[in-house]
Amino acid sequence: MTISAPQPGQVTNAPFKKRRLPRDIPRFLILSFLSILFLAPVYWMISTSFKTEADAIATPVQWWPANPTLDNYIAVLTSPDGNILRWTWNSLYVALLFTVLHVVVCALTAYPLARMNFKGRNAWFWIILSSLMIPGIVTLVPTYIMMLNFNWINSYHALIWPGISGVFGVFLLRQFFVAIPKELEEAATLDGASNFQILWRIILPLSVPSLVTLAVFAFMGSWNNFLWPLFTVTDVDKMTLPVGITTFSQRYTTEYGKLMASTTLAAVPALIAYLVAQRFLEAGLSTTGLKE
Amino acid sequence: MTTTHAPPSQHTTPNKRNKVSLEPYLYLLPHAVLFFVFTVYPIGYGMYISMHRWDMLNDNQQFVGFEFFRNLFTAGTPQFEFFWRTLLNTTLFTVVSVPLLVASALGLAVLLHRPIFGRSFFRAVFFMPGILTVSVMGILWRWMFDNQIGLVNAARDLLTGAAPIPWLSTEGLAWVPIVVGTIWWTLGFNMTLYLAALSNVSVSLYEAASLDGATPWQQFRFITWPMLTPITLFVIITTALASFQLFGQSLTITNGGPSRSTQSVIQYITEEGFTNSQISSAAAMGFVFGLMMLILTGAQFRMMARDVTSSGDK
Repeated sequence: MTISAPQPGQVTNAPFKKRRLPRDIPRFLILSFLSILFLAPVYWMISTSFKTEADAIATPVQWWPANPTLDNYIAVLTSPDGNILRWTWNSLYVALLFTVLHVVVCALTAYPLARMNFKGRNAWFWIILSSLMIPGIVTLVPTYIMMLNFNWINSYHALIWPGISGVFGVFLLRQFFVAIPKELEEAATLDGASNFQILWRIILPLSVPSLVTLAVFAFMGSWNNFLWPLFTVTDVDKMTLPVGITTFSQRYTTEYGKLMASTTLAAVPALIAYLVAQRFLEAGLSTTGLKE
Repeated sequence: MTTTHAPPSQHTTPNKRNKVSLEPYLYLLPHAVLFFVFTVYPIGYGMYISMHRWDMLNDNQQFVGFEFFRNLFTAGTPQFEFFWRTLLNTTLFTVVSVPLLVASALGLAVLLHRPIFGRSFFRAVFFMPGILTVSVMGILWRWMFDNQIGLVNAARDLLTGAAPIPWLSTEGLAWVPIVVGTIWWTLGFNMTLYLAALSNVSVSLYEAASLDGATPWQQFRFITWPMLTPITLFVIITTALASFQLFGQSLTITNGGPSRSTQSVIQYITEEGFTNSQISSAAAMGFVFGLMMLILTGAQFRMMARDVTSSGDK
């Protein structure tokens, strides 16, 4: 009974079905020990967030909050120095808008590159693919000056537009679109479907897994973006969560209870999203960009 | 959700035959415009900035040619000193962290590869830290390694009774929280890639090896390891690239300190550009550092290009 059945969405190796109970025990113990190490920081973060300031820095350390309190959370949520809920909303808004636009733009681009014949198709594909090679640091300073010139500093525009034309997404979708059988398209053409209808009714519905993968990556990328928003958004009310939480931590360097309450709050949306999207995330990761 | 959104361009109609030739270009247009504005143009613009003495308050920028590039290769300028020093810091981080990141990911994947009780739970535990944003991870690990009362010092005290170590303010030691935090944070990503690769290794190879009496170590050494070479290459290059981009971890854990010993090159470039307002100098550094990264990216690109060509053949 100790060997769990393979579950859908998991990368499994079904043929290993022999029960080797005694041999599995050391492996199980090592994994359990490592899990404890991995969970310890998270446990420490959460437990500190419920401690009073005196208990948080008490020696010897308190493994369990002796006087559990919600004061840190109340202080953090009502702090005049920043608004975690507002930052979360900003992050969510920016990430959602970015994701939708990115997926739409990438799909529109990938479609002709994968399924249409026109002059310059291969050249264009290789040009945009080549730009994958350009390190982001090269465009950092000039793009920042452009944001100044556009008057986009401290606006969501700076967080959304520069990344939309991501090349990886075009590449990913193009690879997927290429693999869709030609016959489907031909049948639709005979029925009088336009190219756009073919994209909308045939290609996109068949590509949902890759669209979802791309959307998850785009959302996570935007949600976790740190360097760019750190410099383009300095207005506290417009900050995204990763940046806001950093300014907060610089203000409360020695108030560990509040600090850990704020990081816990900042971690919650990602944890919820992970629990919801876990299957897509890991499946997408294991199938994307790599064969064998 | 995303598929229910109507894409913007619906200009084409099927009955206008002579317009068909324009159609592909219309699909490409939105991306092409953004691609030009935010990728192609900034490269040229950056070159222009780096060759002028950029003054935000002035409309006329003075042309200085390659002066800011020369500064980077002239001993004695602050740019020379700090650019190479922070580049060295970043390289040190990469050299130390990449083998640890790759080996730990492979090790965990091998441990988790075959079914075991609680496997989904373990996978989730090891993957989960990666979803946290870098600042949450950084603040958490700064607290773990706090000089006085961090959990690491507390655990040391508990186990050995040793005095607390001032991790964050000791040169050299300050790298420990950054490297440990980074491993904790990014391990799951590479582990998942390895798990996927392991599931592609044919079971019959192991069965045959078992029959021949191969030990688990021999099976790993002569079957698993060689079969994983392509993905290991890929993981090493992508991890090295990511390590060279070090920014958030050292910013939030040590803020580059003590005395710039953990400052990353990207942190220095942003400091030069956005804090010191030395825009041109920062742009020049971006190009020089970018060129170095290009070599690494080139290797990765070649692997991806092979992938494109092989799947195009099908």
